[in-house]
Amino acid sequence: MTGTLTQAPAAELTPDALLDAYRTMRTIRDFEERVHEEFATGDIPGFVHLYAGEEASATGVCSHLDLRDAIASTHRGHGHCIAKGVDVMGMMAEIFGKLTGSCRGKGGSMHIADLSKGMLGANGIVGGGPPLICGRALASKLKGDGGVAVAFFGDGASNQGTTLESLNLASIWNLPAIFVAENNGYAEATSSTWSVATDDIADRAAAFGMPGVIVDGFDFFAVHEAAGEAVARAREGGGPTLIEVKFTRYFGHFEGDQQLYRADEVRNARENLDCLKVFRARVTGSGQLTDDQLDQVDQEVATAIAASVVAAKAAPKPGADDLLTDVYVSYQ
Amino acid sequence: MVPGSTVGIVANPMSGRDIRRLVAQASVFPNAEKTNMVVRLLAAAGAAGVERALVSTDGMGVAGGVVRALAKRRASAGRLPHLEFVELDALTGTADDTRALVVAMRARGAGVIVTLGGDGTVRAAAATCGDVALLPLSTGTNNAFPEMWEATVAGTAAGLLATDRVAADAVTHRSKVLHVVCGPTREVALVDVCVSTVTHVGSKALWQPATLRELYCAFAEPHAIGLSSIAGLLHPAARTDPHGVVVTLADPATADRTVFAPIAPGVVAPIGIRDARDLPAGVPRRAAVERGTVAVDGERELEFGPGTPVTVTLARAGPRVLDVRATLAAAAARRLLVHQRVPTLQSAP
Repeated sequence: MTGTLTQAPAAELTPDALLDAYRTMRTIRDFEERVHEEFATGDIPGFVHLYAGEEASATGVCSHLDLRDAIASTHRGHGHCIAKGVDVMGMMAEIFGKLTGSCRGKGGSMHIADLSKGMLGANGIVGGGPPLICGRALASKLKGDGGVAVAFFGDGASNQGTTLESLNLASIWNLPAIFVAENNGYAEATSSTWSVATDDIADRAAAFGMPGVIVDGFDFFAVHEAAGEAVARAREGGGPTLIEVKFTRYFGHFEGDQQLYRADEVRNARENLDCLKVFRARVTGSGQLTDDQLDQVDQEVATAIAASVVAAKAAPKPGADDLLTDVYVSYQ
Repeated sequence: MVPGSTVGIVANPMSGRDIRRLVAQASVFPNAEKTNMVVRLLAAAGAAGVERALVSTDGMGVAGGVVRALAKRRASAGRLPHLEFVELDALTGTADDTRALVVAMRARGAGVIVTLGGDGTVRAAAATCGDVALLPLSTGTNNAFPEMWEATVAGTAAGLLATDRVAADAVTHRSKVLHVVCGPTREVALVDVCVSTVTHVGSKALWQPATLRELYCAFAEPHAIGLSSIAGLLHPAARTDPHGVVVTLADPATADRTVFAPIAPGVVAPIGIRDARDLPAGVPRRAAVERGTVAVDGERELEFGPGTPVTVTLARAGPRVLDVRATLAAAAARRLLVHQRVPTLQSAP
């Protein structure tokens, strides 16, 4: 036989795995909707960029990862953090700039990291993640620990030199690296149909000698299936893969973005394409889960998110003494 | 130039980039090459004497590329048909665009419509083409219905039909179609319908032999790529035969009989076979699988559970398709493209 055909059928997702996936997507959605509300009150310092609408991507990819694996994220990183298992209480506190935050309140939305979970960090540098995961993937390859590293990046970052150099490096070193291009149609306010020279970002994979595929970013099952193949390929020494995930972000580039550059495409996405709605229809239609089970998850997540906001607001801010800690130079 | 002769060209700008590039070695077909194909079709149609060409528009640069290429075309490069771009009120980026473009081209007098795309593109065009002949050219992932033809040759064949120099009845045939009923949902396939045990539509492609259960083929050619090759290598049926083929599949690890079939580009896999026989037209067959997905022309489209029976029926009511080989054979036999210089008085002996 020739080719790289997967002989065994992909393991069907168990009901528990489906519930976990739904819980992750629902947690991301509720987290982002709540941050959207809280940001408007002025209590959150700095910028926030929300991931609502894109949940199936982070969830579909990260559901294949474990603690051997690492991800690098973007300025729009909350969803990646949650999908990789970063504690939601710590994340909310971090966004509020509190001492109980994931990074002791010093990073804020764009720098949430938790190395214990393999989350190398949200990243304010567009195209900053791909070089990081090449390093992490090289480490896994040299150690032989079976780890895979994943970089999430946007359509804007797909034009950055750092991203293109990383694709090349991952290919020549045959790294267990996966590049997930999250194409939500706009780099800030610039349409990707104008700024990306190829028809699709996935086209660029051929130039770097790796497979490039496109999946429907609203469909958890499509992302999950493609990511599963890419992760298995990387773990088996098959090298890197580029996956382009196409979808729409529900909010602006940042909170406060007037969004004058796009028409009313969000309403159609929310009504007809939404990943949570599609997922619910699929799993209840197939008889794998019931509406009651999913409703219960909704309630549990809503309670957890509400609690995270209460705790974040009540937590102390870093003090003057904290200025000299968690830095590379010892001032003691 | 033959007055009134019109060729339509629909180029699907959505390029094949599905998971078969990860699990197999499926090709990448850039839109720039679709532009080149349109230009070659136009050149051939012009040389064949076609008066007008109707060309689809899109939001991904195929039609734009045609405009740029023709602006650079040298005056000595031969005549082109009068070019009319067909614009839709709004592009959807879905198969609806293909359906609407075909409707518009019929209304504007296309005598034949060339489609650039895969099986899905032809399926969409077939829904609205009526009795206008299609000439499907392959630009997709693994196409069983459209054929690989050099666009110049295809354009010549289309031109011969559009200018009425060959008889439609002699060079076209009515293709078959498979109707799928899955609860309230209806689908059609022009090549094959495959029932698998994969629970979700997911990334759409089918490439795991152990999940395949039933395969229904409108036609099955031994030289095909894709799922219909399974039947083609075992129990072939021609595009013009009145019947199709139905194959009951089994796990290749335990099956008494397997067939090595190229089910995806770069993938020749052993497929377990339980039974293969003719599929007569007009007789609905109910799938025996309780839960899974139905793939039409190689892509999972429908999910079904125990309460949703799936039936498949072969019908002889598909689109009319232009046979390039037969057209050019007829042209050769009747010397349609041969010009014999008539001796003048001065050169006569």
